[in-house]
Amino acid sequence: MMLSRRDKLFLISLLPFSLSVLAVLVILLFTVVANSLDALKVFCIQLLTSSVWDPENKVYGVLAPIIGSLTTSLIAVLTALVLSILLAILIAEYLRGFSREILSSIVEFTGGLPTIIFAIWASQYLVPFLRDAVMMPLHSYLSFISIFSCRPVTGFSVFSAGIALGISIVPYVTSIILEAYQSIPVAYREACYGMGATKYESIRILLSLARPAVVAALILGFARSLGETTIVVATIGNSMNLTPCIFAPGYTVSALIASQFGNAYLYPYAESVLYFSMLIVAVISLVLSLYASSVIIKWRSRIVV
Amino acid sequence: MYSWRRLREKIFIYIISIVSLLALLPIAHLIITVFLNGFNVLLEAGAGFLFKNPPVPLSREIGGIGPSLTGSFLLTVISLPVTVILGLFAAILTTEFPRNPFSLLVDTIAKSLASIPTIAVSMVVFTLVVLPMKRFSALAGATALVIVALPYTYSYFSTMLLSIPSTYREAGFSLAMSRWGVVARILIPIAKRNLMVGVLMTLARIMGETAALLFTCGRLRTGLPSSLMGPVDAIPLLIFDYILSPFEIWRRVAWGAALILLLVYMLIFFAVKFFVKEVRL
Repeated sequence: MMLSRRDKLFLISLLPFSLSVLAVLVILLFTVVANSLDALKVFCIQLLTSSVWDPENKVYGVLAPIIGSLTTSLIAVLTALVLSILLAILIAEYLRGFSREILSSIVEFTGGLPTIIFAIWASQYLVPFLRDAVMMPLHSYLSFISIFSCRPVTGFSVFSAGIALGISIVPYVTSIILEAYQSIPVAYREACYGMGATKYESIRILLSLARPAVVAALILGFARSLGETTIVVATIGNSMNLTPCIFAPGYTVSALIASQFGNAYLYPYAESVLYFSMLIVAVISLVLSLYASSVIIKWRSRIVV
Repeated sequence: MYSWRRLREKIFIYIISIVSLLALLPIAHLIITVFLNGFNVLLEAGAGFLFKNPPVPLSREIGGIGPSLTGSFLLTVISLPVTVILGLFAAILTTEFPRNPFSLLVDTIAKSLASIPTIAVSMVVFTLVVLPMKRFSALAGATALVIVALPYTYSYFSTMLLSIPSTYREAGFSLAMSRWGVVARILIPIAKRNLMVGVLMTLARIMGETAALLFTCGRLRTGLPSSLMGPVDAIPLLIFDYILSPFEIWRRVAWGAALILLLVYMLIFFAVKFFVKEVRL
């Protein structure tokens, strides 16, 4: 592209502001990596194979929080999977005019709601409700399955945190699915109806066309719940233990950091260990969301001609 | 065969309505409980809730959230203009010079930045700002907020600038305007309302952020903040600390604070709706 002198000046004057974005990312990554090296040097693989938080004796292992992060996010995505797809279809296919306006406004409204409000509600209402209505029955009838095997005492558990996260990411995932679904050219729908397909059948065909975008939306939801802090701290029960049972209290990486990082500078290596666990989660989240957004872009250029 | 297809149609509608209701039920319950619990607290505390100090654990008086409210206000006032200016200029760069290698870099990076957990930002600011300064400060909190909100602001502004039809830009060029002239005299005036929406959405994001403030701005709850270099409190932080406390009175204060936060968020949301409705290009 040829630029005139004035345009070049314009470009150059924009650079310092814009490159601050670059600087921020570089500083963030550099600090996280540099601070986690210490822990990696001292503890090596032990960090990832054990679950101990004992700063007094300098013994650390963050396997449980990492598994906790992955499990809660998985439960969240499974919750969002069912709710979001059907909610998106309801808005796109069955509602018209005013009711549609209202429902999509609600989705938008909840999408931007400060997470702390979800956290206060989930800790005071959702957790007791889930304990009495879901966890107790599952435990008493299906306790031979290992993930339901422990008794839900307080209700604060990996399961509750997952469901609370799921509720909070539903609007986000719904809006991505909705946007993708609505960008399918009308010609496909016309072709379906032209063959005599019913609405249900054409929805199934259109959804199968949108499948890559739906999967990408779920991956983005997973990445977002990996990094979520406030809701998890308020619902997971915050204790370091590694069990296959999802009704037991646990930790996620961000919950561990939220409760331990404040005092971590008092103990050798504690800060570094926390940085290391954050590094793992941040890298997973970064890779997943870059992958998912590239899938959406590729899908769009293929389907929207 | 024919009737089965019709039946399936009906069943599908029922399933979809029930599941959607199930998705909306928690949200409705959430809003209602925040309103009910919050109203009780506000009624009991009266207008003093907005400027008194929070109660000590065993007191009977509810007190208020004065320090947190001031702190939130202060943090927002510092970080909002910085975020908007950085985000807007980054968006102008990537939309005006889309093929420039820097633009591609900025675009990818802004996207990656959005996916970094906000608590990581808090940790890094703690290490790089709070530790060298030897204390929590409003400045550190505002820095963390800017980093957290920047990618959102950027992506909103860049979609907004891209959505302006290219004919306006071409009309400017045909009058021999420079790129800067086109941006300043044509694009920005056209998108004035959308710009306002972007600012409001940034505001909503900054105001509700909790995790980024955990280790950065401190928690000053005994009085009003006196300097930008000293610690401040924020409403989300107050709620975060108080919900899981064993003291009944603190949990009640948290509900009151949550209602205030929700009301402010609703105000912003309706303002956004108002602006968006009138934007037609």
